Amino acid sequence: MTSQTRLTRAAAVIAVGAMSAFGLAACSAAEPSAPAGDGPAVTISYLHRLPDGEGMTPVADIVARWNAENPTIQVEATKFDGAASDMILKLETDINAGTGPCLAQLGYAEVPQMFVKGLLQDVASEADKYADDFSAGAFGMMRVGDAVVGLPQDTGPLVYFYNATEFENLGLAVPATLEDLSSESATAAAAGKYITAFTPDEAMYWLSAQAAAAGDVWFTTENDEWAVDAEGAGSQKVAAFWQGLVDNKQTIVTERWGDGFPKALADGSLIGHVGAAWEAGFLLDSLDGTSSEGQWRVAQLPDFGAGAMTGPDGGSGVAVMEGCEHPAEAMAFNDWFNTQIDDLASQGLVVAANGTPQSSEKMQRQFGGQDVLAALAEASANLNPDFAYAPGFASLTKMNETAAGVGAGTSTVADVFTTAQTTAVATLKDLGLPVAE
Amino acid sequence: MTGWVFMLPFAVLFILVFLIPIIVSVRSSLFAQQPAGEGLYGGGELVDTFVGFDNFALAIGSSSFWRGMGRVVLYAAVQIPTMIIAALVLALLLDSFIVRRPAFFRLASFLPFAIPGIIAAMIWLYLYTPEVSPFMQYLPDGVDLMAPGTVLLSMGNMTTWTYTGYNMLIFLAALQAVPGELYEAARLDGANGWQIATKVKIPLVRGAALLAVLLSIIGTIQLFNEPVIMESANPWMGKDFTPMMLTYNSLLGAISPSGSGIASAYSLLMAFIAGILAIGYALLQRRKGDAA
Repeated sequence: MTSQTRLTRAAAVIAVGAMSAFGLAACSAAEPSAPAGDGPAVTISYLHRLPDGEGMTPVADIVARWNAENPTIQVEATKFDGAASDMILKLETDINAGTGPCLAQLGYAEVPQMFVKGLLQDVASEADKYADDFSAGAFGMMRVGDAVVGLPQDTGPLVYFYNATEFENLGLAVPATLEDLSSESATAAAAGKYITAFTPDEAMYWLSAQAAAAGDVWFTTENDEWAVDAEGAGSQKVAAFWQGLVDNKQTIVTERWGDGFPKALADGSLIGHVGAAWEAGFLLDSLDGTSSEGQWRVAQLPDFGAGAMTGPDGGSGVAVMEGCEHPAEAMAFNDWFNTQIDDLASQGLVVAANGTPQSSEKMQRQFGGQDVLAALAEASANLNPDFAYAPGFASLTKMNETAAGVGAGTSTVADVFTTAQTTAVATLKDLGLPVAE
Repeated sequence: MTGWVFMLPFAVLFILVFLIPIIVSVRSSLFAQQPAGEGLYGGGELVDTFVGFDNFALAIGSSSFWRGMGRVVLYAAVQIPTMIIAALVLALLLDSFIVRRPAFFRLASFLPFAIPGIIAAMIWLYLYTPEVSPFMQYLPDGVDLMAPGTVLLSMGNMTTWTYTGYNMLIFLAALQAVPGELYEAARLDGANGWQIATKVKIPLVRGAALLAVLLSIIGTIQLFNEPVIMESANPWMGKDFTPMMLTYNSLLGAISPSGSGIASAYSLLMAFIAGILAIGYALLQRRKGDAA
């Protein structure tokens, strides 16, 4: 027993040493911008994973502007380089150790899980003050039951990208309904072209978003229990659609993040794509300088049977972490930051805040002068307002595993939704949450 | 006193990076994080609940764990002998007088090991991908190096490429520790080069072979870099292709049940199995050694 206590004490000494070293570093870094005037400043730490790429307004610059204008609320932004899932793990570890940041960027699907784990604060009263600044659908993504844990940053509604020149050559119209998309796929395939790609590695968010676009809601509540419906009418319709295209070889089956997709894009065989709004930022980069430059356009997702409605494929918000001592100040910054729409749009985001930012020069060039961001904002406004994620949604990557068999014929698209259903139910049970069956 | 001071750096590191993580993981394997309250979100808080050996029961009962373990054992059964034999042959060649520039060849065959595992895996993924590979176009049509039936072999090739040189160095060190008089005596007895290699050198590097195989068994059980990279391009493999991936993704929440409790249980179970395999192999070798 003595040896263990000694061990614990040694570990504590080392930990304290390490922490004070960090603390000192933080102090000295903050000093130059410390306020001279009224009252002591509070420091808000903010962890994000925005790209900060070339030609974008860096997060550091945006934050510096805030810090200059708000001497009493100083923000320290840190960029996390790495996968989103790794950042979640880091947050969980840090928050449990009491060293977590005040604000952090979270994917919408991660929010419920983080809340269940007790890592997020309920800041509903603060958030309500700012609700009018954001689209209702996006704001709802930061809601967990009665609690609101932060503010939305960007959305990822599904839209339809297509090569207008090729469409004209082939005599295709921009598909208005799923049936159009299906019949035009046949026409294009007869000419050796594909107007969609089936992407197994994106199945989880991409197919669930399509089910949402078809009017389905996967997670609802019944008598304070979760009810999961991933195989509803909308999912069936989506499954039948893609299965038909795959069976008739009228779509290209390829990983979205593999080499097949950009290759099909570059060699001109892929001339249409059901994709997330955030893909507009880089989808056409490989076509720069080729004869296809400037030929593509963005259209609204075809009507999947529920009218002008689309589903969420990605998007994230900034949440207040457990242990943050100044949630009100953090939320004030949160609102300000997420309404800097031009700066955020430069980061390639479809901002959740109201208002349409200026399309960048690059976007206008790639999309032949189209006002892309206005089209994306329209899609954002048409998000299925009821589609929400449940805790444990991350485990639905299992859908991708099943979807990978679709091309080879070892599984069907309907199987992918069955996987979603069984995995979601099992996950909720594993988490110890009530599930209605 | 001086002895203890010299011990200190080792002891501190040993405790920090070895003992503490093990203690933490054993503790964590006995706990589960469960919702503190009722309702859809479990009250928005988790409590650590002592569950005894429940996590181990879950891990042992997990079919994906054993499927992954099966893949790894199959993989090891092919890859380890191939690699060890290749390393031994290379070491014998380098040690003999056939090779004129041993220093160059030693470095050249060791080079792949100097490349970080993840980077090596990415390079091979690139080589295996039909759209970008520089050599796939010369292979017959329909050859898919990442199909369900061949992906294990393709990954085995990656590991062999990385570690053959490393194992060769182990053998080479053992060979160069052999006193020259032994060869001289063998030659006086009329042994030719082939006989010296098979009758003198190979028996003398048995100890090194034991070490190389043990390290390989332990390394293979933890197969992670190669399948993670391959899975990124081949989602059919799943997030639980090997037990190590299963552990990691359970911790991240990409696989249910998730959390540090079950992940710790998986990793301890894996350590246990690696230990059993390693001890089993060592005992087997020793018995064979006694008999010979």
